[in-house]
Parts: sequence; structure tokens; C-alpha cells
Amino acid sequence: MNVFLTLLLDSLRLLRARVLFWITLGISALVALIYLSIGFTPDGMSILFGAFDFKSEMFNSQSPMAEMMYLGIFSDILVGFWLSWVAVILAIISCAPIFPDFMSEGSIGIPLSKPVSRLTLFFYKYIGSLMFVVLQVAIFCLIVFVAIRCRVGSWNPSVFWAVPIVTLMFSYIYSVVVLVSVKTRSVLAAILAGVLVWFLAWGMQKSDDFLYVASHPESVPNVAGMPSMIGSFGSPEEMMKWHKISSMAIFAMPKTGETTRLMDRLIQVKGAEGEADKSLVAAATEGDDEVSGRLKKASTRNSAAYVVGTSLLFEALMLAWAASIFCRRDY
Amino acid sequence: MSMAVSIECLRKIYRGGFEALAGVSLEVPVGSVFGLLGPNGAGKSTLVKSLLTILRPTECRGTLLGQPIGHRSTLSRVGYLPEHAKFPEYLTGRQVIEFSAGLGKVPAAMAKRRTGELLERVGMADWGNKPVSTYSKGMKQRIGLAQSLVNDPELVFLDEPTDGVDPGGRIEIRKLIETMRAEGKTVFVNSHLLAEVEQVADHVAILTKGRIVESGKVSELTSRGRHYEIRTEGPVPPGIREKFATQGWEVAGDRVSIQAHDAGPVQPVIDALRAAKISIREVKEARISLEDLFLSAVNPDGKEASR
Repeated sequence: MNVFLTLLLDSLRLLRARVLFWITLGISALVALIYLSIGFTPDGMSILFGAFDFKSEMFNSQSPMAEMMYLGIFSDILVGFWLSWVAVILAIISCAPIFPDFMSEGSIGIPLSKPVSRLTLFFYKYIGSLMFVVLQVAIFCLIVFVAIRCRVGSWNPSVFWAVPIVTLMFSYIYSVVVLVSVKTRSVLAAILAGVLVWFLAWGMQKSDDFLYVASHPESVPNVAGMPSMIGSFGSPEEMMKWHKISSMAIFAMPKTGETTRLMDRLIQVKGAEGEADKSLVAAATEGDDEVSGRLKKASTRNSAAYVVGTSLLFEALMLAWAASIFCRRDY
Repeated sequence: MSMAVSIECLRKIYRGGFEALAGVSLEVPVGSVFGLLGPNGAGKSTLVKSLLTILRPTECRGTLLGQPIGHRSTLSRVGYLPEHAKFPEYLTGRQVIEFSAGLGKVPAAMAKRRTGELLERVGMADWGNKPVSTYSKGMKQRIGLAQSLVNDPELVFLDEPTDGVDPGGRIEIRKLIETMRAEGKTVFVNSHLLAEVEQVADHVAILTKGRIVESGKVSELTSRGRHYEIRTEGPVPPGIREKFATQGWEVAGDRVSIQAHDAGPVQPVIDALRAAKISIREVKEARISLEDLFLSAVNPDGKEASR
């Protein structure tokens, strides 16, 4: 059998044997089913397939807001919270022991004594580990895909963009986990390092977003005194200087947040997507098209190529380092 | 004689300066069973792991199946059972063997056929589809042996193959090794169990503190201390004893020892005893055991082995 298929099959068997895989899969399926259970009636909405009804004039089957709300739950809660955070944390915990187990004495001898290079073993094992996320997110998306068809009335294959994007985002963090686990063979140290880098990247991203807004006051919507509040931190010129430093620092970091936000650009729902966005932007910009354009530009100021490219560069460096340790070590 | 393993120089110095192998040289003839003996920590596993690229030697010159040591493709002709082999508990015995076949680039059809054959051969046919987590230590070792043979290797390295195996299982493993030899395979056995190696090996080497201190054919090494012993009914009388002593024959109580490579020099002793009307109870050829050889090699100053 092909070496890649052998290691892939082994990864699938490993995942199948992990209790956490089934727990995560069960929770994912439950979350997706709860999403599917949300329905709209002429008088309002219901959850758990009609077990609980709520009367609402705004969200009912007659109102276009119902669709917006349904899709909003998908983009803000399912993608923004569940897929971007909870599912990834569970995946990190589940996948962290894969390399330390593989490298343990008595286990690694047989693979290394085969006519397969260490580098090949390392990368195939790494790719096999990513199957955890691919399977979890794919099953989740499949249920959501059906749910949207049932509730909104259209098939929307773009929800499956979540599979490569969440896997990609997970892979940035997992590269750190692999590096630390190959170096130390400690599962705990690997998880801690992965989570630390993840939060560091998230914090730096938030700081960069703030500094961008502060250095580009024209992009701030004129609501609730926000421009003057942001202006109190310093002049735009001064903020611009700090933003340049921040941009340089963040260049080397994985862009986890921006990567998951790519789903907002890629996952679109026919008919309703534009309306939802337009309503929100209009409320924030008081109908000013120029400001809404700037806002959009601010939120997508980095191209997908930059976001993914620089993050993959980070991942490549982590993996090159880890592979170098894996390949040079005595077992 | 062609060699399956020919090591000109193998040195391994670990970080921190510990020298595990101090320039070992070794030859293993094709089709033989070779036993590498040594106390714990002598460097036996380090030597095997160096040959199989599991660890990186500091200096290595030599060949494995005619190719330079470290030549990766050659490893497809090699089988390996590591010491304390640990298989994923989520796999069945059959899956462990198939995994090994997959990494060894064994064609799928051949892997399937050989997996069935090997499960039968190691007595695990009824357990092949059960998870490794349900196996005893001995059963895991049998599966380990089966996976090492799945690619039909020319050379098999077995690192402490009887570790944790009950006496019945040890006999089966010994028979399996003998079958491998009969099939023309070269078997390299690492062990600290001398009696077992003595029963099965054609050639041995004794490794201690990273150096080979003895090596050669088992028959030649054990014949090195060959002598004959004659036991009499009752102690040898003092007069005869003194006469024998002048001839260089050792007498202790009822036992006369004669250092000789053949039975020729024993005949005058028998004649002298018969002439003195002393009854002979036993005449036997005695050889040095591998254990004696091992102890004298490991402790040349004769001290009791500490391990």
C-alpha cells in the first residue's frame, strides 16, 4: 500500500479511537442540529423543532429579517464562535498527543526502519493529523448546509468554504503545537504553547485593527462619538507611526482572526447576504455611501493572499523547524 | 563468504560525550543466525538502531546487504522487531502487520496474503482481528515478529525477541528463527539471554562498554576451552595422583581433567587407571559454555558480573 495512504488510514483509525474525537463530533452535530431546529412561524419563531415558540413581529416567516437573523446566527455564532474558537481548541487538545505518541520509544523504531524518509513520515503524519478538523468541520457544514436549505429555501454550497478555512486556521496553530511537541515530547507544553501563540496573534491583530482605525479616522463611522474617543489616544500621524510598527510585527504572525473572517467574504447566501450587510452598514454610516465604502475597505484592508500567504509563511517556518528536529534526532 | 552485515567502523558518541559504541567492527554472514550478546547498556540496541538509521552514528563505515549503511531503499529488504515494541492500542494485530507492510512499500495484494500467513505462523490467527489492547505481552511480541517479516526480508533484526515471553513462547520463537534460517534469511538477534542464543546462533559477538570483546562461530568459541574429564569410583589414590600431576593432568577427588582438543591424550590416562584397577565411572568431553565465555569476556579479571 502507498505510504501516504497507510499513514492517512492510521490517522483515521487513531482519531476513531479517541474519545475526544467522538465527544467533539457529538457536540458539533448537536450544535448544528440545534441550528437546524430553529424555525419561523407566521407569528414568530420556534426552537427545538417547535418545542418552544416565541411570538415576534420582527422575526417571523413573513419577514425578510427572519432570513437575516438565521444567517446571522450562522456567521456570528456558528462560524465566529463555534468553528473559530471552540472547535479549534478541542482539535488542539485532541491532536496534541499525536506526535509525542508517534515518537515514543518502541513506536517510532518500526516506521524509521522502513524505506521512507523521515521528512516524508513527518509531513504525512502532520497532514493526517489535520484530518481531525477536516472531518469535524465537514460533518458540521453538511448539517448546516441542509439546515439553510430547510429554513431559507436555497442550497448554499459556499458554507463548505468553512472546511478549508477552519483547517487552514487550525494548521497555523497546530504547527506551533507540533514544533513544541517534537522538541519537548510534552503534550501539555505543546498545548500551552499553541494556545499562547494563538492568543498572542489574536491580541496583536486586535491592536493592529485599533491602530489602523486610529490612524485612519475617516474610516470611523460618525456614531456615538467614536471618532473623538479614538482621537483622544493620539494624533492620526502619531497613530500611523505605531500602526506601521504594529503591521511589521504582525507580518510574522499567523492571522487567525483574519483567516476566519475570510469566511465572511466567501460564504454568501443568495438574496439575503447583501441586504443584511447593507442594513447594518447603512445604520452605522447614516446612509453615507463614501463612509460605507471606507468602512468596507478598512475591514478588508489586507488581501486574502496577504492574510493566507504570511500565515502560511509562519506555518512553513514552524514546520521546517519541527521537521529539522524530527529528522536529526536520535530515537 | 558473502556478508549480510559488514561493519568496518561504527562509533556513536551521544550528546554529553558518552561513547556508546567505540569503533565497533563486525561481520554477519548471509544466511546465518547471529547473536549479539552483552550486558544491559553495552550498546547492543544502539548498534542495531545505527544500522537501521533510527539513530545517527557519529562515524559509520560498512555495508548492509551490499549497500552502504544508511542506504534507505535497502531497508525494504530488512525486517525489525524493536526492544519493548509498542504498537498502537487502537489497531488490531492484523492492522499492525498491514501498517508495517504499507510503510515497507509491500504491494497490497502481497501484504494481504502475507499478513494471513504470518498470523498463522506466529499462532495469532484467531486473535488477528482483535485490538492490541487485549493482547498479553507475549502476544504483542508475536505480532511484532510477524510485522518484521511482512516484507519477506533477507535480513531480520530481532532486539530482545523473547522479552516478556513465557517458556513455551520462547521455544516457538526459537523455532521461528530456525525456520527463517532454513529459508535463507539472515537473523541478527540482540539478547542478554545467553542460553537462548547459544541454542540458536551460528555466530556470536560479545559487546561490552561499546566494544566487541569476542566474536566468531559459536562452535569455535566454545571449543576454545575444550577438555576431557574422567570420573572414578571413589577418589584417585595419592600415588596415582602424584604420577598424573607430573604428566600435567589435574586431579581433584574423583575427577581427572585433561586439556586436549581430541580424545588421543585421554587414552593413556584410562590405561593407567585401568592398570591400577580403578573403576571408571564416566568419561566426557567438556566445552566452555557461552555463559563462561561471556563472563570471562565481560569480567576479564574474574570478578562476579554485577548485572
